[in-house]
Amino acid sequence: MKFDTVIIGGGLAGLTAGCILLRAGQKVAAVTKGLSLNEAPRNRFVALGGVYLPGDSVLPGGEWRKNRLLRVYTKNLGKTPLEAENFILSTGKFFSRGLIATMSEIKEPLFNCELDYDTDRGKWCVSEFFERQPFENFGVRTDGQGRVFVNGRVAENLYAAGEILAGEIDIEQSAAQLCRNLI
Amino acid sequence: MQELDLSANDFELCLKCNLCTTVCPMLAVNPHYPGPKQAGPDGERYRLKDPEFYDLTLKYCLNCKRCEVACPSDVRVGDIIQSARLSFARSSAPLRDHLLADTDFVGKLATPFAPVVNSVLGWEPVRKVLDSVFAVDRRRVFPSYARERFSSWFRRTARPMQEAFSRKVAYFHGCYVEYNYPQLGKDLVKLANAAGYGVELLEDERCCGVAMLSNGFSDKARKSAQTNIAAIRKALSGGAEAVLTTGSTCTLTMREEYANVLGMDVSDIVDGIQLATKWLYERLEEGTVALNFRSPLKPLKLAYHSACHMVKLGWSIFSTEMLRKIPGVELTVLDPKCCGIAGTFGFKKENYDYSQKIGQPLFDEILSAAPDIVVTDCETCKWQIEMSTGLSVQNPVSILAQAVSE
Repeated sequence: MKFDTVIIGGGLAGLTAGCILLRAGQKVAAVTKGLSLNEAPRNRFVALGGVYLPGDSVLPGGEWRKNRLLRVYTKNLGKTPLEAENFILSTGKFFSRGLIATMSEIKEPLFNCELDYDTDRGKWCVSEFFERQPFENFGVRTDGQGRVFVNGRVAENLYAAGEILAGEIDIEQSAAQLCRNLI
Repeated sequence: MQELDLSANDFELCLKCNLCTTVCPMLAVNPHYPGPKQAGPDGERYRLKDPEFYDLTLKYCLNCKRCEVACPSDVRVGDIIQSARLSFARSSAPLRDHLLADTDFVGKLATPFAPVVNSVLGWEPVRKVLDSVFAVDRRRVFPSYARERFSSWFRRTARPMQEAFSRKVAYFHGCYVEYNYPQLGKDLVKLANAAGYGVELLEDERCCGVAMLSNGFSDKARKSAQTNIAAIRKALSGGAEAVLTTGSTCTLTMREEYANVLGMDVSDIVDGIQLATKWLYERLEEGTVALNFRSPLKPLKLAYHSACHMVKLGWSIFSTEMLRKIPGVELTVLDPKCCGIAGTFGFKKENYDYSQKIGQPLFDEILSAAPDIVVTDCETCKWQIEMSTGLSVQNPVSILAQAVSE
């Protein structure tokens, strides 16, 4: 199935971006594992004509031509890929498994995007529980246009938005900012 | 620890986030039901320690699987509840549940006398008796029985023509097509033929077993499953490219519950069991099949209802994309809400009111969309929506078969 933009992770960031792109006339699909806590963004996304795929997850890898992501496959759709001009990765951080932490390293499980995080395990947390914890700032690294890095190179059409980003971020703003590059 | 896969349906992965609780249609109307988290992964910890902890209110679970769609941690909440009902419920089932569950037995009995059975089941005095003696709600409209079973029609009329096709698919018709609504099977044959495929039936076919599972008869369900699995395996190794289905629940039961609830191995056939609309969409995308549609006489206003098990399979998009290919179709995709019938659940007197209450928001949405026809992949959704809205409800395969030019 062909779309202008495919959103991987239909939470607040992904659906905010989705709604902006739909209003700009794009054909957009959002693949969502679990549910976003608030139904309003989903309802808005669907009302604007977005294709919402609940309870499904994108399989790791996808098909690439050089630095361009051509299509991704999902658990439910089987042989039918989702093809798009652009992809937005908005799978969130640790709870939603946008990032996976093991005892020794942190990984982005779908495309192995490069991350900004302290490789010194001892520096992931601070002992004061109510302080902002360093791991909260860990996330994917992006270029000036919001694109992620895979295998040391910028992925031409794979963008990141929301919680999965490194640093302190504003979820909706990160989505809105990104859309300026996609419209 | 999570890699160790400790329990049958991954109850230990539950993080107690309660997202499942927020989407449960039964919990929204029935305060006696503890909800999917409590009934599923939470209760399982206790039941495993002592079966005395089995909670009788688990009978209220519709097995709609919305909890599983919502779960961010891949806990098979619905399968846990379904399995618990099969292994821990100890009270014996009433005769009514045996009759509702044994669709093959009742179907074989009813079809030879279809006209009589249909009118008798419509009589008010008979319904009152069913209601008071068997606790089948008198307000529930029964699906009517067909005079001729689908498989008899197929052997008598369609089979010789199938030899002309070099490519072939097998068709798992299910009890509803066999005993109640052969037209859907005829439509499937027409559509597959139009796509250049011959159709064959399985060597032996039983009910997929969903009604037996939800009424607590796991031994019977296992027997049906064994027969079906063997027949599907034989068809797939005998040259059928796929075993097509037209009902979303049979599909889900065979693809997922045979493994997750009955513990049977279907790994070698699971990819071969395909809903007809999905299979057809894939063939069209590949370019191995072309379909020509008749030019429309007048616009057709359709409203598509995503059955709960279609949502679980994640396949509604294949049915809606296929419908959109028909010229002149104006399609509204309804918000995926549960219709409330849940197979045999809504027939039972004690459940009827819950059933209608759950479905009401969907009925309201359908009535305000005012379509010519409501389209859904589930047969029991069809009964419920037809009874509750008065509109005609059809399977996407029937709509496609009517639009395709031969």
